[in-house]
Amino acid sequence: MNAFSTFARLAWIASCVLVVATTTSPAADKVIKIGGLLPMSGPGSYFGAQDKQGIELALDQLNKSGVNGYKFEIQYEDSACSPLPASQAAKRLIDQYKPDVLIGEECSDATLAIMPIVEQAKIPLINAGSSSIKITDPGNPWTFRIMPNEVMQGVDIATNAYKRLNARTAVLLHENTNAGIGNAQVFADTFTKLGGKVLADIGFGRDVNDFTAIATRIAGMGGVDVIPTYTLEGQGLKITQALMQAGVVKGGGGKAIQLGTIWLPFGFEQKAGKAALGYIRIVQFDPTDQRPQVRDFVQAFKAKFNLEPTHLNAHAYDQILLIADVVKRGGKDAQSIRDTLAQTKDFSGVTGSVEFDKTNQNVKMDTIHYMETKPDLSWTSLKWN
Amino acid sequence: MSKTSPNAAAQSRERRVWYLIAAVIVAALPLFVTDSYWRTNLIVCALNILLAIGLDFVLGYAGQLNLGQSAFYGLGAYSSTLLVLKLGLPFWAAFAIGTLMAGAAGALLSFFAVRLRGHYLAIASLGFAVIIYQILLNWISLTQGPLGIYGIAPPPTVAFPGLPQIAFGDLRNLFYLTAGFTLIVYVLLDQMVHSPIGETLTAIREDEVSAASLGIDGPKWKAFAFAVSSAAAGAAGCFYAPLVGTLVPDAFFVSESFMILAMVIVGGMGTLVGPVFGAVLLTILPEFLRSLGDMRLIIYGASVTLAVLFMPGGIVEAFHLLRHRLFPEGEMR
Repeated sequence: MNAFSTFARLAWIASCVLVVATTTSPAADKVIKIGGLLPMSGPGSYFGAQDKQGIELALDQLNKSGVNGYKFEIQYEDSACSPLPASQAAKRLIDQYKPDVLIGEECSDATLAIMPIVEQAKIPLINAGSSSIKITDPGNPWTFRIMPNEVMQGVDIATNAYKRLNARTAVLLHENTNAGIGNAQVFADTFTKLGGKVLADIGFGRDVNDFTAIATRIAGMGGVDVIPTYTLEGQGLKITQALMQAGVVKGGGGKAIQLGTIWLPFGFEQKAGKAALGYIRIVQFDPTDQRPQVRDFVQAFKAKFNLEPTHLNAHAYDQILLIADVVKRGGKDAQSIRDTLAQTKDFSGVTGSVEFDKTNQNVKMDTIHYMETKPDLSWTSLKWN
Repeated sequence: MSKTSPNAAAQSRERRVWYLIAAVIVAALPLFVTDSYWRTNLIVCALNILLAIGLDFVLGYAGQLNLGQSAFYGLGAYSSTLLVLKLGLPFWAAFAIGTLMAGAAGALLSFFAVRLRGHYLAIASLGFAVIIYQILLNWISLTQGPLGIYGIAPPPTVAFPGLPQIAFGDLRNLFYLTAGFTLIVYVLLDQMVHSPIGETLTAIREDEVSAASLGIDGPKWKAFAFAVSSAAAGAAGCFYAPLVGTLVPDAFFVSESFMILAMVIVGGMGTLVGPVFGAVLLTILPEFLRSLGDMRLIIYGASVTLAVLFMPGGIVEAFHLLRHRLFPEGEMR
C-alpha cells in the first residue's frame, strides 16, 4: 500500500512537471541563439576574455525583460585566431547549436576562413574586430562589420598624423599578418600621397620577441615623426619599451610619436609604463563620452566586474545590442536577422553608430576615437572625429 | 624464389583482414557521422594519420629524428595550390606534382641525415622547417605570405561512365577521398615495413655501421625513407588546402612538427598502427573537450603528459601490456 502511495505521489509530481514543462515550452522556444566565435586560446586570447565580459553584461540587461518576447542565449567556441580552428569552431556551432546569428572572430585570417561557412549555412555573422578590407570587399551577404575597416582607419590616422601632428616622416612597424600588412600599406599610401615620407617599412613575425635591433635601427634614422605600429599586445609592449630604451619615443626622451589602431587593449599604458607616454591610438570606445548609453554602460560594467570597460568589452556589448535592435525591428531567425541587419541605419551603440553600406561595412566614422597617453598613464581624448 | 614461413603467411593473412576491417570502417563512418563538423574532424583525422604514419616511417623504422614534417606539409599545400591558381593545372596533376616536390625536398634533407644523427639531425630538420616557413611567409609575390590565399576550391568533380558524379565539395566524398588515400598509403607502408625494406631500415636504425658491413647502403635508404615520409606529408598538404579553403603560413609553423611527433609518440613509435591511434586521439580529444570551455587546453595538455608518462611505449604498447595482464596465457607478439 505504501509502495502504491509513493508511486501515486511520484506520478502526480511527474504529471505536474509535465504540465509545467508543456505550458512553459512556447515561451522557452522564443529564444534568439547567438554563437560566439572568440579566440580563447593563443596570443589573441585576451580578445575572447574581454569580449565575453561585454557579452555577459549585455545579456544580463536584455534578458531581464526580453525584446519582442525573445530572450537571448549564447554559446561560445574557441576559434583561436587561426583559420582551421576557427572553421572547425564555426561548423561545430552551426551543426550542433544551430544559432540564429553569429558574432566574431577577431583576427582577419580566421574571419576570412569562417565567411564561406556562414554563407553556405545562411547564418549572419557580425564582426567587430577584424580590420582586413577583404572581409567586406568583396565580402558576402551574410557577413557584417561594425568597426571601420583597415582603409577607413588607415586613411584617417594617416591624414591626422600629417595634418594635425604635422608629421612628415614615418616608420611603419607591423606584424606580418593579413591585417598588419594591410593596415601599414593603407597608412603608407595615404601618408605618401599627402606629402609625407615613409623612411622604413618593417614587418616581423609573431615569433619575434626582441625588438632592440629594430628600435636601434629606427634611432639611427633620426628625425622620425611618427611610428604607426600594428601588432598584438605582447609584441606591442616589447616594441614600445624597446623604442623608449633606444630614446626614440617621448617616454625615452625622443620626439617620435607611436600611432596605433584598435589592436591594443585598454590597460596597455599601465603595462608599458613610461614608455607609452605620448602614444596616440585609435580606440573604438571613449569611456569619457557623455552620451547617456555610454555613461550607463560604464557604470553597469564597473558594478558587475569592478573594472573599467575596454573597447573590446564595448564592442562585444554593441554586437549584442545590435542583435537586440534587429530583433526589435522584426528579426526572428537567421534570414530575417540578416535582412534586417542590412537595413540598419543610425543604430547608436556605446562605441558609436552603425549604418551598413551595400557591402555590409559600417560607414559611420564616429566609432573612431583618438586617445593620447598622458604622463600619469591616463588618457586624454583628442576629439579628432 | 623465397619461401614464406607459415607464421609469416599467417601474419600476412591477419594483416589483410585488418586492412579489410579498416576499409569497412572508412566506408561506414560517414553513414553514422552526418554533420559537417564531425565529418570535417574525420577528414582532419585522415590527414593527421597520413602525416603521422609518414613521420613514423622515417623515425620509427629508419630511426631518423625528423622535425621538418611541417615544412613538407606546407610544401605540398602551397605547391599544389599555386600550380592550380597560377599555372591552371588540373588539381590531380597539381596533387601529383606537389606530392613529388615534397618527396624530393625530403630526399634533399636526407643529405643532412648522412652526416648527422639524433639531436643534431633534429636541429637540422627543424632549421629546414623554419626556412620553409620563412619562405612561405616572406615570398609574398609567390605565396601571398601572411596575406593568405583564400577561396581555394575543392578538388574537381569526378565522373565515371555509368556512375553518379562525385563532387568533393560534399564532405562525405572528400572524406572518402582523403581517408581512402590514407588507407592506401598505410597499406603500402605496412607492406614495406614487413618486407626486406623494413628490415633494412630497421638495421640502419639499430646500428648503421653493422648495417653497412652487411652491404646496406645507408645514405641511399635514408634518402628513400625521407622521400617517402615527406611525400606522405606533402600529399596531406595537397588535401589540406581544399579542405580549409584558406592557406596562411602559420598553419605550417614548426609547432605543427611537434604536434605530429606527439601523435607518433603517444600512439607508439615504430608500430605504424600506433601513430594512427595517436593521430585520432590528438585530433579528436580537443574537440571532445570543447564542452569544457576554458579548461579544455589544460585537460588536453595534462592528458598528453600523463599518456607519455605512464605509457612510454605509446598506446600500442599499453594495449599489449594490458592484454598480457588480463590474459597472461594468451599469445604475445
